[in-house]
Amino acid sequence: MDKATVVVIGGGATGVGILRDLAMRGVDVLLVEKCDLVNGASSRYHGLLHSGGRYAVKDQEAAKECIIENQILRKIGTSCVEPTGGMFVRLDIDDPDYEGLWVKGCADSGIEAKPITLEEAFRLEPLLSKHVVSAYLVPDAAIDGFRMSWQNVESAKRYGGRFQTYREVVGVLQENGQVKGIEVRNTITGEIEKIACDILVNAAGGWAGKVAALAGLEVGVQPDKGTLLAFNQRITNHVVNRLHKSSDGDIFVPHGSITILGTSSMSIPDPEDTSSSREEVENLLAIGEKTFENLRDYRMLRAFAGSRPLYMPPGGASGRGASRGFAIVDHANDGLKGMMTIVGGKFTTYRLMAEKIVDQICAKLNVTEPCRTAEEPLVPEVSENDKKEARKYFPAFGTNLAATRLGPERFARVADSLKNHPEKRELVCECENVTLAEVEEIARDLSSFQINDIRRRTRIGMGTCQANFCALRSAAVFAKYGQDNGARDSIGQMKQFLQGRWKGIRPVLVGRTLREIEMTRALYELSFHVNGGKKA
Amino acid sequence: MKHSDTIVIGSGLAGLMAALTSARRGKKVTLLTMGSGSLSLNSGVIDVLGFDENHAFVESPRKGIETLPKDHPYKKIGMDMLEKSVEAFLAFTKEYHFPYRGSLDKQIMVPTAVGTLKPTCLAPHSMDGTGFKGCSKVIIVAVEGLKDFYGDIIKENIRPLLGEDLVYEIVTIDTGLTGGRDITTLDVARWLDHDKGMTTLSEALKPYAKGSETVFLLPQILGTSGHAGALALRGKLESEVIETTCLPPSVNGLRLQKIFYEALRDSGVDIIEDTKVLRAVRKGAKCTAVVAQAAAREKTYEAEKFILATGGFYSGGITMREFEHPKEAIFDLPVWFVPGEENWSNEQLFADKPQGFAMTGIRTDENLLPLDGNGKRVYDNVYVVGRNLGGYDFCFEHSGNGVALASAYKAAMM
Repeated sequence: MDKATVVVIGGGATGVGILRDLAMRGVDVLLVEKCDLVNGASSRYHGLLHSGGRYAVKDQEAAKECIIENQILRKIGTSCVEPTGGMFVRLDIDDPDYEGLWVKGCADSGIEAKPITLEEAFRLEPLLSKHVVSAYLVPDAAIDGFRMSWQNVESAKRYGGRFQTYREVVGVLQENGQVKGIEVRNTITGEIEKIACDILVNAAGGWAGKVAALAGLEVGVQPDKGTLLAFNQRITNHVVNRLHKSSDGDIFVPHGSITILGTSSMSIPDPEDTSSSREEVENLLAIGEKTFENLRDYRMLRAFAGSRPLYMPPGGASGRGASRGFAIVDHANDGLKGMMTIVGGKFTTYRLMAEKIVDQICAKLNVTEPCRTAEEPLVPEVSENDKKEARKYFPAFGTNLAATRLGPERFARVADSLKNHPEKRELVCECENVTLAEVEEIARDLSSFQINDIRRRTRIGMGTCQANFCALRSAAVFAKYGQDNGARDSIGQMKQFLQGRWKGIRPVLVGRTLREIEMTRALYELSFHVNGGKKA
Repeated sequence: MKHSDTIVIGSGLAGLMAALTSARRGKKVTLLTMGSGSLSLNSGVIDVLGFDENHAFVESPRKGIETLPKDHPYKKIGMDMLEKSVEAFLAFTKEYHFPYRGSLDKQIMVPTAVGTLKPTCLAPHSMDGTGFKGCSKVIIVAVEGLKDFYGDIIKENIRPLLGEDLVYEIVTIDTGLTGGRDITTLDVARWLDHDKGMTTLSEALKPYAKGSETVFLLPQILGTSGHAGALALRGKLESEVIETTCLPPSVNGLRLQKIFYEALRDSGVDIIEDTKVLRAVRKGAKCTAVVAQAAAREKTYEAEKFILATGGFYSGGITMREFEHPKEAIFDLPVWFVPGEENWSNEQLFADKPQGFAMTGIRTDENLLPLDGNGKRVYDNVYVVGRNLGGYDFCFEHSGNGVALASAYKAAMM
């Protein structure tokens, strides 16, 4: 039986943050995740590194946490943050009184909100609606949730932290009111395994209530679905927020070559529900086009949704009214020693949440090492010299992107492969500039079971063509290096990968997205005939 | 102002076929094109009908068509016109040294770049999977540095289809075509247009050739002109050579496009490229002219008859900026669609039923003249062809180029 001093359930930002913090303090820790890492809300959100401006009126405690963590994450995760800056704009239809409250809220929370002239605002953001009546700059930024989380894992690994993906917790083992371990189901083989531990941390986000229930406990977590739209262009330079009481569809976040518009808020019974309806898409567009009037002329890549784990203390508010703060529950108070749950919060404050709960865990374990997660960078940066050398072998302009995706060790291996094997310079994904060498590096990793796992780490399939070309190419790589029959089933992998893209495309099947999907089907259903059909 | 008998808008298979057929009837034809047409994207084989409404394989396209619903484009076109269009196409490809084969009674199975066998109706000799019959060894020919053709997965997937008892071997040839960028099938095809390339390839493959025992399976690389490349290699190896379908660019589609353009020029069709048709000029029930934008100016083209081959959603002939409001861009023709979010698409991308959105298009009468929602004719001289037609899902049933060919032929003959 596998064992660890601490087992963490949930491979989202909070879970991997705890994994890293515990490992850095010398605690033997194992994280289990029922899917791939970063598969829930930590990647299914707008990718905004909050300045705190969004919470300046409603929740100043959250706002203060945000601005402090914002500065820390820029420092420890440089390559995960795109320092776009943020802009708050008030439209003529928005309540002018709110602006005053917001300015004061920012000042009280320590957030620098710099008023700018309209002329300056239109110069910085030429596509803004002419209905904008005032504008401020704030230190918002874009952050890559996949990369940040993976870098936490890489960091934890260096300190001995371990993780297992595709392991779903199906039982909590207990004896005389003390946690003894967990039972997990390997979701690929179906086997049941046991893992012993002294302390169990439930960091399952929207699933935290379900995990607690396995131990016979009750935790008030309300999954709250947020739907977002990804556009194929960079519509804004800055993160652009509407300066009014928070509502759906009022934040635009530019990432690389795309823009994400979010977010709706809807209480749902099941955190697995990541579907988006046409109505949700229409609502987002209707509000979004108030800030950018020609929004409908841009091609939507896809809609996606995640479920926020809103904590519901007995008698609390729900939905947008609920606190974005977080809570730590020690179930010793419910009669089960050794089990703790952490819920709520937001991506921007994941590190702080981890620090707080790890402080409590360390107190139980008599570990006195202090937290160092705010000082030490997640991964060493790839040196300028190494990048310069690698540029000789990288096709197109992918060097910097690959360096930030891969980190120094993997980058060195990929650069080496490109240098010694010119045929590996082939671009598997032209949209995101991903080379064959990089896809092979990730495909060979034991945590890759399907092409989607490669996608989350390399960004193949996430750009303009939404996998039209890289589905075939990555399936061919996987057929060679995949670790099991499922991974090596090229047609099955292609269909599964394209189906994953389809899920997000379906709700936005309008405008130019229609052309793209006609192409996808013509290639795979007609030219490659992957959809079999029945014998006559 | 320019006057023609017939104006054809669009240069996919439907537009090219409509222009050629009209010109061969002695009409003065102007072809207005905006992009490069969709032939460079599809494999240039003519699927007529591969699967019926229940997704069951159709052995004979002719019989399969009988089971289609009455609103399907084939039902408006009629079997007679479909047959004649196939005859005309076969004759034309033969005349231009790129003979296609096949008939409406039987499918040809074409190997694909993922190792499946795809049913089609008309194909050139070099893509006809019938050639595998009787062989004992399949040599899969990969090309060093060529993307999108992976011997391993082809071998793995085609083995159960052609037979476990056959021997499969992958041979990789080096063309020397590198130079800092990924190469495509088109690069290799151009290399094989010349003797040097063809000799290099045939010398590399000769040691594996054992007459009728071996079949060589290649990406679409055998030259850019008709069947010349395939003939040459088959002659040198004295074995069958077969090409797969592939990701764009499609060399075979381009070969077909090339002979169409040759034939159009030989027939005196006036081809105006890079021109965007903006709107139509209407007089009563007739269209008298279309206005097009060329460079910075607008230009008017008059004609007696117009054939609209602008390619539906796929090529931008039909657009839909907002849900449930599809529009035909030039004539503002009524566009029929399946209403309701739940009917618009299937949960599965690759499903056992057609996709609702793919049925979107213009409804016509039996003359291919457009109808409004009440079944009333909208124009007396504007014919709708190809992907602009509503009521069929070309991917699901494998019918795209067949509908294009037959509707274009019929529109030209009206």
